[in-house]
Amino acid sequence: MWNRVAVVGAGLIKFGELFDQSYEQMAAGAFKAASEAVDHDFDPSLIDAAFVATQRGTLWGQEGVGGNTVPSAIGLSGIPCTRIENACPSGSDAFRVGAMAVASGVHDVVLVIGVEKMRDKSTEEGLLARAAAGHPIYTRGETAPVLFAPFATRHMHEFGTTREMLAAVAVKNHHNGALDPYAHFQDEVTLEQVLASPPVCHPLHLLDCCPQTDGAAAAILVPADRAHEFTDKPVYVAGFGVATDHPYLHEKSTFVGLPATVAASQRAYDMAGLGPADIDMAEVHDCFTITEILDIEDLGFVEKGKGGRAVLDGETALDGRIPINTSGGLLAKGHPIGATGVAQITECWWQLREEAGDRQVALRNGVALQHNVGGRGSGVSVVNILTRNLA
Amino acid sequence: MSGSVGIAACGVAAPSWRVAANDIRAAWGGKAKGTVAVCAPDEDPLTLAWSAAVAAMRSGGLDADAIGGLWWGTTRAPFAEGPSHAYLCAALGLSSGVRGALLSGSAHAGVDALLAAADAVVAGSVTTALVVASDALVPGLGTAFEARCGAGSAAFILSATGAAVVRASATHTAPVVDRYRGDREEATRDLYDARLFREEVFVPHVTEVALMLDLPDDARWSLPDPDGRLGAVVARRLGTSAVSSASAYEILGDTGAAAPLLGLIPALASTGPAGAVVYGGGRTTGVAFDVAAPIAGAGNLAVHGREVSYADVLRARGQLVPSGETVEMGLPPGGAAFVRGNPEMMGLLGGRCVDCGVISTPPSIHPHCVGCGGPKLEPVELARQGTVHTYVVNHAMPAPFEAPLALAVIDLDDGARLMVQATDPEGIEIGALVELVLRRYAVERGVPVYGFKTRATKLSNDPTE
Repeated sequence: MWNRVAVVGAGLIKFGELFDQSYEQMAAGAFKAASEAVDHDFDPSLIDAAFVATQRGTLWGQEGVGGNTVPSAIGLSGIPCTRIENACPSGSDAFRVGAMAVASGVHDVVLVIGVEKMRDKSTEEGLLARAAAGHPIYTRGETAPVLFAPFATRHMHEFGTTREMLAAVAVKNHHNGALDPYAHFQDEVTLEQVLASPPVCHPLHLLDCCPQTDGAAAAILVPADRAHEFTDKPVYVAGFGVATDHPYLHEKSTFVGLPATVAASQRAYDMAGLGPADIDMAEVHDCFTITEILDIEDLGFVEKGKGGRAVLDGETALDGRIPINTSGGLLAKGHPIGATGVAQITECWWQLREEAGDRQVALRNGVALQHNVGGRGSGVSVVNILTRNLA
Repeated sequence: MSGSVGIAACGVAAPSWRVAANDIRAAWGGKAKGTVAVCAPDEDPLTLAWSAAVAAMRSGGLDADAIGGLWWGTTRAPFAEGPSHAYLCAALGLSSGVRGALLSGSAHAGVDALLAAADAVVAGSVTTALVVASDALVPGLGTAFEARCGAGSAAFILSATGAAVVRASATHTAPVVDRYRGDREEATRDLYDARLFREEVFVPHVTEVALMLDLPDDARWSLPDPDGRLGAVVARRLGTSAVSSASAYEILGDTGAAAPLLGLIPALASTGPAGAVVYGGGRTTGVAFDVAAPIAGAGNLAVHGREVSYADVLRARGQLVPSGETVEMGLPPGGAAFVRGNPEMMGLLGGRCVDCGVISTPPSIHPHCVGCGGPKLEPVELARQGTVHTYVVNHAMPAPFEAPLALAVIDLDDGARLMVQATDPEGIEIGALVELVLRRYAVERGVPVYGFKTRATKLSNDPTE
């Protein structure tokens, strides 16, 4: 049995193309937001360990980001700090590792912080240059959309999923993003606009894709039995899971689902003693519209093959059966890779504390799920489950 | 020749693009007729040589193991100095002890390869020789030759029992300058004086060598035709109208070192005497054959190809380049990943799990099976055909990639799965039957990188009818 862990503070900076902020300034902003979100006055010197999620530091102009960059930037130089890099789930994995550090009893007050600079380099030098990274032949031409577009092609072929169903994900998430002051994009889009946007990687078009976004987010974790020193409304870690799959697309056993998501969520559900029906809302990985459809099927919210129809029918809207990506998701809020998972945790934290404003969903069980999947071949997935109940 | 060597089988390859000669000449204020064949950005003399050689080996019913030597003639080896011959051997799956040579230096190189291979068979140093001539010259911009310059490849299997028996050869050599490229020059220069070349060099030397072959009146001739008129002049001097090379020039253009061999292909489809003459680099050589039986793989050249613009051609040849620097990408082709990866990429190798039978590809990144995790994998050559399981068409990529670029996940006939680029984004769909063809994936830091791509079987660019 593990010692239970509480989240007593969480926050983020407004996501966007933050050309005017350095990596260090973004980190300081996120730390300030999380500290100020702690209900009772928070003394930063209580932090006795930090875990930093930054995925692409060495490619994005932050050469040699180590454990020391963030402590220095937030005035805590000297504390133990480790950088976590685990592809798109880097932020959610840093949260999981931070929770384990507290659960083990080794550390008491742990900062989990995700920081990512996506736009200090041009698109060509950044995301697109990966088209020739990896294996000399088997990944050549594999820009980020290529990791997910083949799943769209096959999902459409096997289940009759349509471009309208994909587009409905973007419409929903941009609607939610327009209600989220921290989102990169603040405007609604129509189904017609999504369908008419230029092709990026058939069958995905521009508005099927998340933007390149700078951002940072942070969360503060303490042992559950100390939670009330810090807050009146603690949120607890109910469970988490990680899973891996083969790294190259030609090694995938299926192109209509992501086995890493299925396995990670099963581990998290088992640890929490919960199932998909117990979840009130979820922040899931929607780097592309098809990804969210795969997610809600693989996480068990919707039967395999029916994800597209569920979105089109409004089942995943703010007032739907299982609201998905209330923050706007990666599609509208943005995807600063290391920060993404921690920002999703923040949205779940707000929802469970009923502080999500116009985006607030109705809570039945007081349980929220956060999910990322990514890396080459979408071969890494992390799921964290949060709860209001310390049962 | 002692008569103990002949062509047993042949194969042909043409690149996938065609451009109207008039589009080229019009850019320079001139006019021209016909079309010429041009390499797409992922094709070059090595990929053309591979295609023709594979076709010849299939026609002859030969495994790679049967080939004792590879003689390859081209003026445009992908490495002016480097492992061109070794790359082609690897892609063809020839044994690491294979003999042979890369011959280059002028359009004479294709016939040089043929005669060197024939000598090796006669001498008994190899039993079965593979001869390939391929070319894709880069002509100087604005030259008259530019609108004639084509691309293609022909391959022959030579053996002591080949039915197109080599009867004789003759040569004439003279130190004259005509079509040439300096040591550090990108493009081939044109004849420096057309009338001087015609009157003092080409017509007298080609005619003299052809007559030295002493062929009967009913012989079919593969004759050089550098400007679209000189071939006919020589034919008149010889008193023949049986010019088997006319269609190759008409369909593909001047294919350089490949031209004399390509021009012979139609003649090998029926019995009787035949002769091939080449001019290149001051040397004129003729070879006489007696075709005792139709040769497998021979026939008339077919007109296939996608019509493209002069701008497409210039870009593919690297003569029209965007300003600014492209982003350096990928792994250094001289590095360890390629030393490990080249044999398995060009040989299309996988590892079959001894326990569960699943094939993991490529072997160097799979010490354990992707199916069951087992550690015992035996090397296998992958199947060359399969079906499309899923695909994408990438429209947003940085230079030097060119959109649209299709990538396909294919299930090969042996159960292995691959994800590779597709040569035909418009023809791809789930369930489509495809074959794997060697293509140039990139020129990375100045070095060509080769691997296999899919091509829809129904769009097969078979260059003979």
